[in-house]
Amino acid sequence: MRLVVLLAALVATPTLADPVVPTFTDETAASGLSTVYDGDWDFMVGGGVATFDCSGDRMPEVFLSGGAGPSALYLNRSPVGGALAFEKTDAVKLDAVLGAYPLDIDSDGVLDLVVLRQGENKLLRGLGDCTFEDASQAWGFDGGDAWSTAFAAIWEKGQTWPTLAIGNYLDRKEEAFPWGSCTDNWLHRPAPDGAGFAPPLPLTPSFCALSMLFTDWNNSGQPALRVSNDREYYKGGQEQMWHLDPGAAPRLYTEKDDGWKRLRIWGMGIAAADITMDGYQDYFLTSMADNKFQILKDPATGKPDFADLAFKTGITAHRPYTGGDTNPSTGWHAQFADVNNDGRLDLFIAKGNVAKMPDFAALDPNNLLLQNEDGTFTEAGDRAGVASMGIARGAQVVDLNLDGLLDIVVANRQQAGANRNAIGAVIEIRRSEKIERHEIASGGGHVSGSVGWLHFGLGPDKTATLRVIWPDGTKGDWQTLPAGSFQILRQGAAPEGWQPG
Amino acid sequence: MLNRRQILALPLLALAHPAMAADRADVSRKVILTWHKLILELVRHTATYTPPVAARAFAYVGITAHEALTSGNPALRSLAGQVTDLSPLPARPDGAFDEPCVIHSALQAAVAELFVNTGPTGQRAMEAMGRQMGEMASEGIDSGTVDRSVAHGQAIAEHILAWSRVDGGAVIENMGFPMEYTPGTRPQDWVPTNLIRLQQAPLLPDWAKNRPFAMPSADADDPGPHPDYDETPGSAFHSAALEVCETGRSLTDAQKLIARFWSDDPMLTPTPAGHWISIVLQIAERDALPAEVISSTLAKLGVAQADAFISCWATKFRYNLLRPVTYIKRHIDKTWEPLLITPPFPEYTSGHSTQSGAASTVLTAVFGDDFAFDDETHVDEGLPVRSFPSFAAAAEEAAMSRLYGGIHFRFGNAKGLEQGRAVGAYAAALRTEA
Repeated sequence: MRLVVLLAALVATPTLADPVVPTFTDETAASGLSTVYDGDWDFMVGGGVATFDCSGDRMPEVFLSGGAGPSALYLNRSPVGGALAFEKTDAVKLDAVLGAYPLDIDSDGVLDLVVLRQGENKLLRGLGDCTFEDASQAWGFDGGDAWSTAFAAIWEKGQTWPTLAIGNYLDRKEEAFPWGSCTDNWLHRPAPDGAGFAPPLPLTPSFCALSMLFTDWNNSGQPALRVSNDREYYKGGQEQMWHLDPGAAPRLYTEKDDGWKRLRIWGMGIAAADITMDGYQDYFLTSMADNKFQILKDPATGKPDFADLAFKTGITAHRPYTGGDTNPSTGWHAQFADVNNDGRLDLFIAKGNVAKMPDFAALDPNNLLLQNEDGTFTEAGDRAGVASMGIARGAQVVDLNLDGLLDIVVANRQQAGANRNAIGAVIEIRRSEKIERHEIASGGGHVSGSVGWLHFGLGPDKTATLRVIWPDGTKGDWQTLPAGSFQILRQGAAPEGWQPG
Repeated sequence: MLNRRQILALPLLALAHPAMAADRADVSRKVILTWHKLILELVRHTATYTPPVAARAFAYVGITAHEALTSGNPALRSLAGQVTDLSPLPARPDGAFDEPCVIHSALQAAVAELFVNTGPTGQRAMEAMGRQMGEMASEGIDSGTVDRSVAHGQAIAEHILAWSRVDGGAVIENMGFPMEYTPGTRPQDWVPTNLIRLQQAPLLPDWAKNRPFAMPSADADDPGPHPDYDETPGSAFHSAALEVCETGRSLTDAQKLIARFWSDDPMLTPTPAGHWISIVLQIAERDALPAEVISSTLAKLGVAQADAFISCWATKFRYNLLRPVTYIKRHIDKTWEPLLITPPFPEYTSGHSTQSGAASTVLTAVFGDDFAFDDETHVDEGLPVRSFPSFAAAAEEAAMSRLYGGIHFRFGNAKGLEQGRAVGAYAAALRTEA
């Protein structure tokens, strides 16, 4: 058993009043990371990122879910302290992947990978040198057939194999009335003979889990399983926590027996850390609009009764703080990490609209909330350079080039399962008082076609004002863009500038 | 009021070919009921659909169904000229029409616009419903009739949607919470009751400016002021707060159940208005009500509830009264907590009481004083079926539930019921038969 730690020094000298704002630069394109989380309705959630060293050089590789597209494992080729560089491999090229978690399942010293999918989940055994084999069958793991959207693992007392909890979402076959169709979560416990897994136990009732975490919330030495559930789809549901006593069937915490307090949110992600430094874990739960920050009220009572300190500490993160969109936010992956090495944990939240939800922000920047000396937080995402308007889902805050400074890798969703080049869209561009329409087509000419940069001459104008009417009829906002620039236009996202070379 | 004979006789007025028409009548019923079941889900899953907004949508969908049927049935009367600013609906052009196709296309178009803000799953559900209901409605009908019927249904819907777009309630921003809000300075003024940033301003403070449907104005049925605000123990106001506090401390399981049964929280249920819509849908299934009765009842009920919220919101922001939890924590017991989550807007009068009073008035007018029914609206949520001897009894329980839940004073519930009954009378007086 081992832990790898890095002790990092402060990135700059702070004043007492303000935390140091770290600086991030977007190296996505240059680094070689090119996978997007793709797909239609059945991939509206998911988009996980896994970072782990499978090459043995202690530098984390990056695995990115691809949704309807292929997933990819990227080998870390970054020089220590240098520019981020990755080599794309086909080592874990699977379809229908929503997320993944690295875990040395068989305790052989090589990390394995738990892959959550639309359909059958898989356990990939690490063979060394970033090669893997599907060990699901060999380990007696029933991957099932569901929309798997959450995961947690723990070694229960006395066990040499882990217990895996897998959260599942709604029944994807339900079309007109999918609400209330949440399918069972599963608990894969070790097989009785001590190798591999027993058939999964259903964690009934299940309420469309989007995050799970084993956590010793009361320092009892007996971790419980927290489950954050999406209220959009459950009926009669709420946030959950399960007792997981050794050898006993999982048992739900209840209001009557345990003092569990009902909470119903669009639960999407759990981040845990002892922010208040009271010796107990605190929990940040992402949702839509206000997020929750739960602090155990009184450990002496033994009851899991939490106060919500999100408002008081300034981490409700309920709406965009930059970019001009004032609609409420949608939070996904959240992670506490000390991004400025000042000894205080900060909070990163990946944000992004579910898909065409006009009640919520379309331009929804990720948050980087720096912890102040008094335990409150200050938003610094825009100043730090992480206020991306991409449609974020999963993420990891991790030191990718081992320079002692944390980096951030975020999986953004691209809803382009079909028609990736927007054939049938129309670009409208203002020409003085007139509007010129350009249809994006495939055809015409004489058996010759092109997909790629669209060229618009502007004459003496320094800017162009245009909008896109997408193939589904959605009218994008009018945008004013500079002359002489390359711009990538994506539906529901801000234009992204690009430079050749 | 309709008795059973009248209910059963109504569709016969429209039948040219009884055998086939009876089958088509069943299809019409199914179209209306299924679309309404879907919108109960869409209300729950569309963030803008707080109770007043939901009630407005229910009204327009109900009116759409009624007008679609009325355009082909001389036994029915249009609401044009009866509800505010609704002009005569498009007449049917020459040719044959199929009622289920007309109703389906009208509802499909109306729901698509009224629920445009729903998320990807709601959009997917609407598409699936449109496809499934469209195939069912048009099966065995010649294409010319289908096309003509669909076009007419869409024309009916567009007429009503155009009317809806200018009522003041069509655009909801920030889930109904103003970006800026200056709280009152009097001790009795409403203050936020939770730590949700979005809800530090009250919900929809301008909702009373919306165009009413059947009542003459938002202020027409103001119930008058609440008991004088007073912090003195023994005063009427203090006693009312003490009652909420002590009731909350000693709730029985039966009272807790009542509070939760009528809680009808937005984004977790179809809202209070949807609860009453659900009751009508259940009765319609149980009693096999004909399409004409279902649609006219839903139209009147929707009108009553939408007006009730406009009226109630006018009262709420006129008096701007604090919630029991605020008063109790300040003056009686700072540790006290209500059973239910306190809604983020002023107390007086109770919205659920007002719209339940309005709903019960309409439904009593349609079905009668002692019309018993079972209510299984929340069975999927794990709550049991409740039985009521009358609509009035259900409304009174709904009002009392707010006291059990710790979110309203008794006087807010009682005055809300009175206000709702007065508002509901306007909708009950609408003529839906020729």
